[in-house]
Amino acid sequence: MTSNDRTRSRSLLDRRNFLGGAAAAGIGARSLFGASSASAQSTKTGTIRVWGEPGPYGGTAVAAMNEWAQKNAPGLKFEIETIPWDGVYIKLMTDLAARRPPSLISVESPIAMQMMAEGLLLAVDDIADKIGRDRLVEGVKWDYWGSWKGKQYVIPAHHQPHLLLVRMDIVNELGLKDPDTWDWNDLLNAAKTITQKKQNMAGFCMALGRNLCTDYHFAALLHAAGGRMFDASNKFEVAFDSPETVEALTFVKELQPYMPKGAVEYSFLQVVDAHVTGQTAMSFYWGRTLGRAAEEAKPIFEATEAFNHARNPRTSRRSNWNDFQGWCIPAQNNPYIEEVKQALLYQQTSKEWLVKYCHSLMPNVAPTYKDIANSEELKNHPFYKSKPKTVDTYFKSSLANSSSTANELLQGSNPFSGYVHGRSILAQTVQKVVIDNQTPQQAAKWGARELEAIRRENIRLLG
Amino acid sequence: MSRFSFLSSDRAVGLLFIAPFVVTALVFMVYPIAEAIRMAFFNYNPLRPDLVSYAGMSNFEFIFSDPLFWSSFGQGTVWTLLSILFQTVFGVGIALLLHRKLFGMAIFRGMLLFPYIVPTVVIALIWRWIFNPEIGVVNYGLLSVGLIGEPIYWLSTPTMAMASTIMLNVWKYTPFVVICVLARLQSVPLELYDAAKVDGAGAFRRFLDVTLPQLREVLIVVIVFRTIWTFNKFEEIYLLTKGGPGTSTFNLAVYSFEQSMASLRLGVGAATGVVMMIMLMIGSVVYLRVAGFGNEEKEA
Amino acid sequence: MTGDAWWSATKKASLYLVLCIVTLTVCFPLIWALSTSLKPKSEIFATPPTLIPHSTTLENYEALLGGRQQYYQSGGASQAMGPTPAQFFTRWFVNSVIVTLGSTLISIVVSTLAAYSLTRFRYWGRSVIPYFSLLGYMMPSIIFVFPLFLMMVRLELTDNLLSLVFGYVCITLPFCMWLMWAFMRSIPIEIEEAALIDGASRYQVFAQVVLPTALPGIIAASIFSIIVSWNDYLFGRVFINSLDNLTLTVGVMLFFEGTHVDWGLLMAASVLMTVPMAILFMALQRHLVAGFGAGAVKG
Repeated sequence: MTSNDRTRSRSLLDRRNFLGGAAAAGIGARSLFGASSASAQSTKTGTIRVWGEPGPYGGTAVAAMNEWAQKNAPGLKFEIETIPWDGVYIKLMTDLAARRPPSLISVESPIAMQMMAEGLLLAVDDIADKIGRDRLVEGVKWDYWGSWKGKQYVIPAHHQPHLLLVRMDIVNELGLKDPDTWDWNDLLNAAKTITQKKQNMAGFCMALGRNLCTDYHFAALLHAAGGRMFDASNKFEVAFDSPETVEALTFVKELQPYMPKGAVEYSFLQVVDAHVTGQTAMSFYWGRTLGRAAEEAKPIFEATEAFNHARNPRTSRRSNWNDFQGWCIPAQNNPYIEEVKQALLYQQTSKEWLVKYCHSLMPNVAPTYKDIANSEELKNHPFYKSKPKTVDTYFKSSLANSSSTANELLQGSNPFSGYVHGRSILAQTVQKVVIDNQTPQQAAKWGARELEAIRRENIRLLG
Repeated sequence: MSRFSFLSSDRAVGLLFIAPFVVTALVFMVYPIAEAIRMAFFNYNPLRPDLVSYAGMSNFEFIFSDPLFWSSFGQGTVWTLLSILFQTVFGVGIALLLHRKLFGMAIFRGMLLFPYIVPTVVIALIWRWIFNPEIGVVNYGLLSVGLIGEPIYWLSTPTMAMASTIMLNVWKYTPFVVICVLARLQSVPLELYDAAKVDGAGAFRRFLDVTLPQLREVLIVVIVFRTIWTFNKFEEIYLLTKGGPGTSTFNLAVYSFEQSMASLRLGVGAATGVVMMIMLMIGSVVYLRVAGFGNEEKEA
Repeated sequence: MTGDAWWSATKKASLYLVLCIVTLTVCFPLIWALSTSLKPKSEIFATPPTLIPHSTTLENYEALLGGRQQYYQSGGASQAMGPTPAQFFTRWFVNSVIVTLGSTLISIVVSTLAAYSLTRFRYWGRSVIPYFSLLGYMMPSIIFVFPLFLMMVRLELTDNLLSLVFGYVCITLPFCMWLMWAFMRSIPIEIEEAALIDGASRYQVFAQVVLPTALPGIIAASIFSIIVSWNDYLFGRVFINSLDNLTLTVGVMLFFEGTHVDWGLLMAASVLMTVPMAILFMALQRHLVAGFGAGAVKG
């Protein structure tokens, strides 16, 4: 047992004693805490399992929920289970098949939407109403997190785009243009110039391994080129075998010589490593690269800024892949539905906890509500002073270029994308080109066939 | 009391003693295998157990028309054959080295057999650490003695990743061969060597003419066994490379796992398992033939 | 004969040299893991790398056994919250011990009784069962894992250490059976016959005569069963849902956080995971070799 746990359980004990005493003195616990809780106190006991991504923010949210539990359900304790990204699908399968889902899940939107379409989630319109439907930041809709057939299934936790991280010291040293003005050709040239002029440094890095990270990184290029996997406007027919896909794959192939050699095996961890250890001057990544650089490599942190991705020269689109990550509640085999709803509402309506949530990993998890995004409390963080523009790009100005595999080009929730990522179809398509030396046309055909299979096998989801 | 009456008396005790095994085997071995065979003929998405449907032969048609199945089979075969080759060569070599009465031999033997008991997870972690292309000690060592000009990407190219998994497998399981060979060597009559010495045979000749024929039997048994197990291995590959880069280190076990888990096609995974099982039956028949089991039974 | 003596001394010396080189090469990965686990963070990534740490530290071990927060702190702005994998290490260790011992106990008891029965009684099927076991022990565990998992779901045993005990029985019982059968067969039955004639019952014979004689076989089978159960990753990965009930092998892989890997911590975990096996190995090495003599053994 850790000291943290110990203090928590001690305070829990104290609370229980106190309540016992209060009850003995003839004062109902209800009246004591009536102001903060609308419902009767829960007498259930046990541990409520909550899934979260690796990172401290899930823990912060759970701390808020435990604060609720202390007041309203003293026998309950929320516990975060962090699921490594590459293990999400195994975990999902075994836990749901074992009929032991966690009681609350924070997970990437493709998986949330898959579960939603499978009918595994609880509709949460009542919570959304209580949170306030008009609270969302400018430029997003409740749909982005997950609604299906008119019902809301996912409560916003945060949004997190991956952007182009650039070492400005290198860019300035080599006299390159402002990355904010780049198109794909400029990005390619910059990568090339840096690789040629800097010893032991790659110009650019993205994930190319058979994993989720590659799926997400490539999706941004695909969407910027105007391509997509499925056509949301036409019953999600597969639209992958297209010139746009070929264009994006060709671009990856062109960039590859300027990436670290190991990139064909890289996933989340290695891309961050490459940037933080100075092996690359540019990389695609979410905000946590900066968090880690601040911790481990101050000079790299200071020199790194984030930009919206380079424009596709043909379409002029600059797409990022934005994870509209939310909280969802499994509908079946979930003994704590009421408690979870209450605790989630408690966290979502507490400014203090929501700010703490964003602060726990700056600037990775962006606020979803206006009142938080514009609050002074949120700005009370050193990154706001040292990197105002980068933080603002992650939090706000990236939203105009948002796209996601679960909501391609923002044309509609895609119930198949979870399967796509589970099988790493995009990553495998990329690998056909960068490892097996197939032509982009062949790879696009292969990918399209796999996507067809997914659509065929799961057509019921559209039903 | 005659032998026959000993064997046939108190039958109830005998049946009582075998009963727990029969029950356990039925529940935990026969049933799962039967269930796996049944699943191979169904569409089975573990997220939607309510949607299970009969699939006929379609799962088998799926795998036989899936290029990944065949490349997994091919890669698994390469992985197995090379692993076995190196395990046997190193195993016999180390066993011969250890088969001497020298001071401190017990320590050497202990340390050389040790890798066999190191958990696979631990080896995979250590491998990822020492073979890390940028910060790993192996590349550092090779670079500093000038054996290589630039870092080797051990897990990033198909060939090197295959080589790394083979290395892991050889490192962990060579002791198995050593133990078996050592046990056999200890029972080789010394007179055979003396006779060969008298005939003027050199060390290498003695190895070829005396030692190797004596080891023939145990080597065949070990090779057949190790081939079957290596072919079926999952963790050694999955924990080190997850089958990557690309799908270049997939074997059938990883293929089956990925189909069942990542693709949520339990039926296809089970069908792969059934195919593996059939290959294994063939292997076992070979083994029983070669090892001549059942002969002693006749004597009894 | 001094020439000969010199020759034999040289031979001996070169033999030792070869042995040392081979042993060092084989053991290097383990030595390096141990060395890394004893280094402070700053020294782990130092170039040139040091084999013997300049400043030895036990902080990695303290973190595992004491449960330290593992996350970096986002520029020091706020404290990380919630448990991190390292904090479960001791719990997972205990879980691993429980399932390993539980499954070994069941496998050994069942297989010893069965092997005795098979070699001392005549009934239908007696010669088939050992070969059936042999076949079972060559089965890939990937075949068992999902059917067993679905069975555990029906029995409501998922996320329960008992499911792992059963799962490990499934993969260890066949070879324990095969090994015990081979061993029992090699024990002459004359002593038992004599004891029976002296008026002992079958149970007395089994407990007082057979078991002590079969002890080396039982020890060998136990070691293999323990190694296999302690090693398993697949069953643990599939059967267990909550952090509290994980075993070491699966839990330690969670240390790969996605964006941050603490190699010192991982290597310390690796060392701690290997230690129980090492102790067992040192104590019972003799029996291990004997066991291999009795029958081929799963690896």
